[in-house]
Amino acid sequence: MNLTQFLTIFISAVFIYNVILSRFLGLCSFIAISKETKPALAMSLAVMFVTVMSSIITWFIYRFLLIPFNLTYLRTISFILVIATFVQFVEMVIRKISPPMYRFFGIYLPLITVNCAVLGVAVLNIDMFFVNGKAVGGSFYYSAFQGICVGLGYTLAMLLMSGIRERLDLANVPKSVKDFPLAFIIASIMSLSFMGFNGFRF
Amino acid sequence: MRNRLIVSASPHLHKAESVSKIMWMVIISLIPAGAAGVFIFGASALWVIILGVVSALATEGVLQILTKRKITILDGSAIITGILLAYNLPPRVPFWIPIIGSFFSIAIGKQIFGGLGQNIFNPALAGRVFLMASWPKYMTTFTPPASYDAITSATPLALIKEGRVLQNFSYLDLFLGKRAGCIGEVCILALLLGALFLLLRGYISWHIPITYVFTVAAFTFVFGSKALFRGDWLFHILSGGLILGAFFMATDYVTSPLTRKGQVIFGIGCGIVTSIIRLWGGYPEGVSYAILMMNAATPIIDRYTKIRVYGTK
Amino acid sequence: MKKLLSEFLKGIVKENPTFVLVLGLCPTLAVSVSLINGIGMGIAATFVLLGSNIIVSLIKNIVPDRIRIPCFIVVIATFVTITELVMKAYSPALNRALGIYVPLIVVNCIVLGRAEAYAQRQTVLNSLFDGLGMGVGFTLALILISGIRESLGAGKILGYTLFKRFEPVFVLGMPSGALLLIGLLLGFFNVLKNRRT
Repeated sequence: MNLTQFLTIFISAVFIYNVILSRFLGLCSFIAISKETKPALAMSLAVMFVTVMSSIITWFIYRFLLIPFNLTYLRTISFILVIATFVQFVEMVIRKISPPMYRFFGIYLPLITVNCAVLGVAVLNIDMFFVNGKAVGGSFYYSAFQGICVGLGYTLAMLLMSGIRERLDLANVPKSVKDFPLAFIIASIMSLSFMGFNGFRF
Repeated sequence: MRNRLIVSASPHLHKAESVSKIMWMVIISLIPAGAAGVFIFGASALWVIILGVVSALATEGVLQILTKRKITILDGSAIITGILLAYNLPPRVPFWIPIIGSFFSIAIGKQIFGGLGQNIFNPALAGRVFLMASWPKYMTTFTPPASYDAITSATPLALIKEGRVLQNFSYLDLFLGKRAGCIGEVCILALLLGALFLLLRGYISWHIPITYVFTVAAFTFVFGSKALFRGDWLFHILSGGLILGAFFMATDYVTSPLTRKGQVIFGIGCGIVTSIIRLWGGYPEGVSYAILMMNAATPIIDRYTKIRVYGTK
Repeated sequence: MKKLLSEFLKGIVKENPTFVLVLGLCPTLAVSVSLINGIGMGIAATFVLLGSNIIVSLIKNIVPDRIRIPCFIVVIATFVTITELVMKAYSPALNRALGIYVPLIVVNCIVLGRAEAYAQRQTVLNSLFDGLGMGVGFTLALILISGIRESLGAGKILGYTLFKRFEPVFVLGMPSGALLLIGLLLGFFNVLKNRRT
């Protein structure tokens, strides 16, 4: 376990290979919930929680259930079930804490279940930190940390986008591109700029 | 709503400058770099600039007619976008590259956000990365300078990205533009002349360009070679599109932060990203990408560096 | 009968999953690089949508609210597996082309989205037509997007080269270009919509 690996994970997940702007995962909620900063941050928090918890649980399942019993082909479906359970839990909590926020998120809260970013990082952890069916040294800590960092990367993208869209609220944008069309175009230019990190080799 | 409007505290200084006059001053300050580019690379460079400007003007005019908005093509902003896009292109690109690039810059980079003052991204750079992603072959084919003795047709930054040792390059060569590169980026002398004009007349402030360049210098000094603190920072300052970007594109009022503190953050951010891409990324040059990324961060930077309204806590 | 027809039609235009509901973007961006993949994915997703909507609607009164999300996932995963096996058996070429995207229909927001927003509150018949309409709407969106992306981004259609001296717009083959395209198409549709009113 070394510090450089943690640093690499942080810089990769948050900036260089940002989950939304470079890997294009989790786009549905990104476009839909990024109109204002407060809900965007709330959604980011929810996603980060699910990401971290499912990174941890799926690691255990893979290490102590799927590998020993040769069931690694059940990886995707078992991971999704874990994620689904956590999302159900988060949904109940938000419903209790803040009903207006719950109503605002609408369908996008249960849709965290199928947020490609969440499943994506669970699978990425396995690909990166298991070699030949064995966990590499520090695998668990790297996986959990990567879960946190992917959540942070998601938050960064949401923060940038919501800042932009809030500013554009005051502009007189042509009516036909207001809201979603412009959000797609902004996402496009943002992802084009993140292409600058392609081919990164430390 | 009150929280979203960014206002700077009074008192405000009123000058006899209009938006349009500032634009035309910027155009004047860009002329030396373009003249140098044409001198160094030949007539095709002039065509690229002309096509870029004409396409920008035409796009803006047509779009404003179609959307029934006021026609503002004479305010100079479209011309600047066309010029800056052309300055970011290799001198011998096919004729349709500056045409399509300017079209994208004006239509998608500017008008679709509502026109002047409302775009988030620097339009010329948005056009450039679009062209880069769409036709990379044409955007990375450079020619050696026509009017100097033959040098290679690869840019200095591309050469060091490949790990080749640079021969026959002196800092003076880089400063005067004796190298392959984009039309408006190679002649540092001409660029600095124009930038000095803008700085002295107060049209741009030193905060962004100086912090940007300084950050690149510091970063490349520390990390720019195998051993720490041995990097060739002077080479990095004089290469690629840094001077062009730092003084003429990062300083665009619309897409950079309002406050001095925000501008310093912006400059540092641009510098860090540019250096990271140059040293460890796949591309030889990172100025365009860095500025666009910081453009995206500008609304958030503005939000968190708001000036305290006079009289409140 | 008219109501059922409107349930079907709304998925095509008024509540098109890609352009209006903004669902299913990840697979759309990834698959719509070529027309044949777009069509294949659309058909596979429609089948899964149909099956999932029907079953979810059938079991809506038995499933407790507190565990409904995992239950829906199991239903969806089952249909995806069926689709995958059928495709492997009867159309191996298409299965090879679509690669991992078929299993990934499980995480296609549209399927869970319709189960959650519609099928768990509506009758089986309504859910059937909704699923069908959404699937067809998704497929049409895929056809439009992948048609443009393949022809302009690679200069081909269904694998056949279109023009001889054409410089393909490479960015359209990338997700960034796809996002740009969707934004512009959406804007264009809005222009048409505003003209109508």
